[in-house]
Amino acid sequence: MWVIYTLNGLYFAALLFLTSLGLNIILGVMGILNLAHGSLYAIGAFIAAWTIIQIVGKVPVFILFVSLLSGLVLAGIVGFLMEKSLIRAMYKRTLEYQLLLTFGALLLLEDVIKMIWGGQAYYASAPFELLGKVDILGHVYPIYFLFVMFITFLAGLFIWFFMGRTKLGIMLRAISLDREMATGLGLDIGRLSTFAFVLGSGLAGLAGALVVPTTPALLGIGMEPLILAFIVVVVGGLGSLKGALVGALLVGFTRSFGIAIIPEIELPLLFMIAGIILVVKPQGLFGR
Amino acid sequence: MGATAVSVGALGGGTKAIGQAKRPIPTTPIKIAAVSFLTGAAAAPFGIPGDNTYKMCADVINKEGGILGRKIELLSKDENGGVDAQVKLARKLILEDKVDVDLGYISSASCLAVLPLADESGGLIVAYDCGTHELMEGKKSPYEVPNFKLGFRSSAHLGIDNIGLALFIKKYYPNIKKIAGINQDYAWGRDSWLIFETAMKKLMPQVQVVKTLWPPLGNTDFTAHISALIGAEPDIVHSSLWGGDAVTFTKQALGMDYFKKIKMAYSRGEPYPQEVGKDYPEEQIICCAGTHYFLFTPPDKTSAGLQKWFVGEYQKRYGKYPTYPCYHAYQALYAYKNAVEKAAKTAGGWPTIEEIAKAMTGLTFPSPSGNITIREDHNAIEDVLIGISKLTPKYPFPILDPKRMEIFPAAQVNAPVGMRTVDWINSWK
Repeated sequence: MWVIYTLNGLYFAALLFLTSLGLNIILGVMGILNLAHGSLYAIGAFIAAWTIIQIVGKVPVFILFVSLLSGLVLAGIVGFLMEKSLIRAMYKRTLEYQLLLTFGALLLLEDVIKMIWGGQAYYASAPFELLGKVDILGHVYPIYFLFVMFITFLAGLFIWFFMGRTKLGIMLRAISLDREMATGLGLDIGRLSTFAFVLGSGLAGLAGALVVPTTPALLGIGMEPLILAFIVVVVGGLGSLKGALVGALLVGFTRSFGIAIIPEIELPLLFMIAGIILVVKPQGLFGR
Repeated sequence: MGATAVSVGALGGGTKAIGQAKRPIPTTPIKIAAVSFLTGAAAAPFGIPGDNTYKMCADVINKEGGILGRKIELLSKDENGGVDAQVKLARKLILEDKVDVDLGYISSASCLAVLPLADESGGLIVAYDCGTHELMEGKKSPYEVPNFKLGFRSSAHLGIDNIGLALFIKKYYPNIKKIAGINQDYAWGRDSWLIFETAMKKLMPQVQVVKTLWPPLGNTDFTAHISALIGAEPDIVHSSLWGGDAVTFTKQALGMDYFKKIKMAYSRGEPYPQEVGKDYPEEQIICCAGTHYFLFTPPDKTSAGLQKWFVGEYQKRYGKYPTYPCYHAYQALYAYKNAVEKAAKTAGGWPTIEEIAKAMTGLTFPSPSGNITIREDHNAIEDVLIGISKLTPKYPFPILDPKRMEIFPAAQVNAPVGMRTVDWINSWK
């Protein structure tokens, strides 16, 4: 069963990585703590679930999987609107304003979701069922989980390449390292910040979309991912891609093995680890 | 129709009393609040069926002339939003909206927080579905009853489900060696496991508990839990998972071939075969939280007639078979109706809340599941029906195998008045 526990850990880690990567980019590049990040995850989940339910049985299977990207797209759009309206106002303000405003955005988006999609749960399990199961060392494992890990791997690869090798990515990193210097060098902070926010939001939306074949989209679905993403950012370190990966793996494995071995302390264990790291290395494992 | 016969008879009695009445019966409607989960994961399998039933029964009662001639004005409220919100809502319903009765509460957490408000605010509250046995029990045996003067529960608590399961497992699976449990980490889940484990220790002391898991209420990802259970290799896994959690768990477990190796024993699993559909696994042990099952015919004629009407009417209106939250909702509304009619006879007019409470204590009334009695501890007792899921060509979801169904009588699964359930189980020979 240890193989399965490991695979489960990787599966959680994959989703966490996507969510916290988005949070990390926004926090790193813009210095904004976005409490509404979980709402973007939720928006991704709802649009993906709703779309799949509408089109299932009527389109080729391939399209069903492509429709998961709707989560990324809609969350990106909402992120864009959020950045232009709310976040802009916060750049010069202190942390309390950020927390208040983004928390307000969280409540607002929760109600918007309720208005559009109502209070019911949306089950969109077709992609999960269609991919079937595979036998790994005598144990059954859903192929969909492997698919999620693969998509996350691609996303991570893309972000790594983007941040390290493209001009746009390097500009974003420059802003996160030294905002004033970057402005001095003539970078368009405004447009680049918007771009970073949209990218981060899109990643959260993608993570939300990827879970709906296994878990129902319902109100409040973004809360736990938000908290766990924060733990990952704290543990892994701010602004670090490597940190997001290591943090996600740590949290994912703690969850998977914790539940398997010592179920009662699984949740406190996570917070204990975060606490210890905060005390010993406050900037996180790979933070600056 | 069975229902008409019962209410007309009672109406006749009430009207006669008016002749010598000291108190007039108001002509204004009766305000009845019905609180269930209308949004969230618990809505579809639970809250909405319960709410549908309140609406259906209120409609039928009103068409027959109401309660003592007064029509029911039903206020459907959402139980979602957490315990603090429910306490606020209950206070508002009783003190501001001045409802005649607050029928509600599916979650044990809601009940524990809200029932004390009955005596505190002077409002009648009837819990209709929540299961924690701690609600009405005292700290030690024997304890004083009732716990609340104006607080009632019109259904039996989780004792019947979990003691029933243990008795069923002993009869049908006497040779098992290992059990496990997956229950939600709050009063309901903890209490369910406690009663089940205590009963199993008494009835099958040779069986070993290999794992207990405690996902939080509302957990959406059970992958790790499913894998942990598969790894522990139990014969039977006890679960009081309910609402969306039960549905999500089943769907995820199906994807991991969990049911090929493990049998679940659901303490309140009756709604889920219909909710999940034909994919729902066979050979699962399912308890009906009472004898609440659309294919069950109660032994007494009045109740049997009510069951026939109830199943037919619910299906006609909502396109599904009623599940146990529906039966529980019926019980709550009709407990109130029967108590009011009984109290009106002695009061000679519309009874006060205290008089209704007095009439509800010790009340027995017929229901689609059989006769229901609310004892002097203000808690109802019921028989319990347990069966094994089986696909048949007649229904699009597994039903309970009629050849392997058991009904345990109330006296066998409900602790005596004033005695804590755990103490009672431990006193068995």
